[in-house]
Amino acid sequence: MKKLITILAISLASLLHAEDSFAFMNDSLAVKEDVSFSHFAVFLEGGEIYPMGDLQDAVKNTLYGGVGVRYTYWDNVDGIVMFQYAYFKPRPKIGYDGVHQFMGRVGADWKWSVIQPVVLGAGFTCSWTRADAENFDWMDRGGSLADNETEFGWYARISLPVFKFKEYSAGFHLMWERLWTLPKRSDMLSAGVTFERSLW
Amino acid sequence: MNSFVNKIISALAIASTSVFASVDPEMDGMDVVSRDDGTFLVGSPTFYFDRPNGAGGIHSESELWTPRKLHYRLLFNRMSVLPSWNPIETPSIWMKTGNELGDMIYQDFLTDAADRPDNRTPILEGGFRTPLFHGFWATARMFQDDHYCNFRGYRVAKTKESFSLFGENWPLFSSGYGGLGYTNDFINASVLAGMEYIWLFTETSRWIPVLYKPRVEARADFWNFSTTLVYENAEYRDDSKKEQGERHEVNGSIVYSCGEKCRQGMLQLSAGLAFRFLDDDGTVYTGLKNDRVLWPFLEMRFKPMSQLKFDVMFGVNDRDWLVQDSIEYQVPALEKMNITVGAKNISGTRLNPIADTYEFFDGDTVSLTADGRMNLLQGYVRFEDTLSTFLSFGLQGSFWAEHGAETFDVEKFVDDDGFTARHGDVGRINSWIKGVTGEFWLNLWYKEMFKFTALTGFERIDGKQKRFEVNPAEFFVAFNADWLIKRSFRISHSIRYRSDAEWNLRSRDPLVVKGDWFWDVTFEQRFPKYGISLAGTLIQVLGDEVIETPNGGYSRFRFVCTAKKAF
Repeated sequence: MKKLITILAISLASLLHAEDSFAFMNDSLAVKEDVSFSHFAVFLEGGEIYPMGDLQDAVKNTLYGGVGVRYTYWDNVDGIVMFQYAYFKPRPKIGYDGVHQFMGRVGADWKWSVIQPVVLGAGFTCSWTRADAENFDWMDRGGSLADNETEFGWYARISLPVFKFKEYSAGFHLMWERLWTLPKRSDMLSAGVTFERSLW
Repeated sequence: MNSFVNKIISALAIASTSVFASVDPEMDGMDVVSRDDGTFLVGSPTFYFDRPNGAGGIHSESELWTPRKLHYRLLFNRMSVLPSWNPIETPSIWMKTGNELGDMIYQDFLTDAADRPDNRTPILEGGFRTPLFHGFWATARMFQDDHYCNFRGYRVAKTKESFSLFGENWPLFSSGYGGLGYTNDFINASVLAGMEYIWLFTETSRWIPVLYKPRVEARADFWNFSTTLVYENAEYRDDSKKEQGERHEVNGSIVYSCGEKCRQGMLQLSAGLAFRFLDDDGTVYTGLKNDRVLWPFLEMRFKPMSQLKFDVMFGVNDRDWLVQDSIEYQVPALEKMNITVGAKNISGTRLNPIADTYEFFDGDTVSLTADGRMNLLQGYVRFEDTLSTFLSFGLQGSFWAEHGAETFDVEKFVDDDGFTARHGDVGRINSWIKGVTGEFWLNLWYKEMFKFTALTGFERIDGKQKRFEVNPAEFFVAFNADWLIKRSFRISHSIRYRSDAEWNLRSRDPLVVKGDWFWDVTFEQRFPKYGISLAGTLIQVLGDEVIETPNGGYSRFRFVCTAKKAF
């Protein structure tokens, strides 16, 4: 009993929330079981983004492209980091042609054996936008984008890597994302293809 | 159950009752945002009311000086962790960014300018600490929190030029420093230098901009001594009134702490001296009597037996004295029931004896000290037990009474650029205020994977004079859970309800902060082998976006992500 409670007290204090935010490095079992980065891959992807809901009245569908890395986090879970770019054209009459949007995403892909080769993913997303305009009046419609605007959100994604050859793979993906904007949230759907090369 | 197990259970129970959820704070010192064990009302990173349920008295925790706050920052008359100049202990590199949620992006195309929501503002931090090189290390850190930033026009009027290290939001603080340190078995020393923009919230309810340029802080810990020496060249200004001033300040402390052998003894003694020396020039909106304060203090723990301990802190100088003492006894006859009884007392002429003594406001000199003294007495009973290998619970009840509580005697309210400010002096409530409190907590855990805490408490306060600055919330309930999956993925969350709280003396009509549910959550990917951590935290997911302090900013739904790598 004494041993059990001691272990619990120490481990709860040190692992769940410690003053030293790197205390988890002292957990020898966690270090031993850490398989992260045992595999590492880079990928290119591209496709089309479709605004959803009210956003369909704001911007047109557009193409996107980007790069990313995939690394082992657990045996059946990969970590994902993506960077993408798209150029959105406004649907209403706005005093500039479009808006540059850079997207950064951090998340995880779950390779659930039951539904292989389908991979389920989710994570956080951050979109940085800036209008393709200079000296635009902030009070005009679309004026807030003349300066940098950034918003966070989350995404859910289904990937289908159907072609595999040695260290290369290719497939399709479908992604839904929500940005936490106001006055309403902004939803978009992306569909595209992914080309991936495993480095180790 | 033997005493060793009792101690462990006590540690767990205390952790569950007094410590907030494991949700990552958005910045060091901002833990109050996610605390669930009392009344925590945040007006800005540099001003908040923080009072745990059952703390006793009507003051907030940050108003009270104690020796453990020697490395805290003195923000006007409050002790604050933020902006922390404590060097990060682990050699590492880190960055943090985030934003209040609600920028428009493409919603702008569908929204009239008149209907646009307020601009949402970010948080930024980056820094490093090098590994040791022959005992030497270097560190640098830039950190700035633009949240609670909505009353920008007020601040722009006071400082026409941009007032931060980055951006145009005139945030409530922005700080940057760099420095060198030396660490070996005998000494841990560091010197940091940098500059800092900060807005202080004063007793008259004004925001005062201060630019520390430079601020230099040196620390040295050796043997059982801990020393700190700070130099600040503080620039004050109000461009709307064409006023400027400077304060040159030297402050610090030297402390002798009870060493390892001493801590094993029956009598443990520590002693120290905190000090401030000022030289004001031009218009500085606050003042310190005689331009200096020397605050010697003594700490003592007397533990004649394992079940009984006395703790005393006593400080005194030519103006003030302050005593904080307590006695705690674990009842041997009821040892199996783990019942502890205790009492504490806080008496003194001032809660924070090192703070400034005057504030100057439109020709009025506001006294920040009051004649007489305050006296707080509190008794409590705590019961805690473990029912199985995965379940424990506890109860605590207390009664307290305070006479001479510090308050503010308002003479009149005035308009201050859209805000409400007040004239008057710090005073006392020279009658008894009484409170009765109760708390209940329940812990569930499963190995290292899961920990759950349910916590609830109430407090009823009464007295002949109800001139409290804040009527604390009367009850709260909180549910906190932490999952650690495969020892490397953490989800921590806190969902809680706090009942109404009320500010009484900083506006013509009381400001009622309505009770509400709050939910905060952290997701963290850990890479133990590589010392990497990637975390995302959502704060204020539930709950209306409201102003929690008079003249304060909105507490908004926000997201903060942090990446860290240990060397």
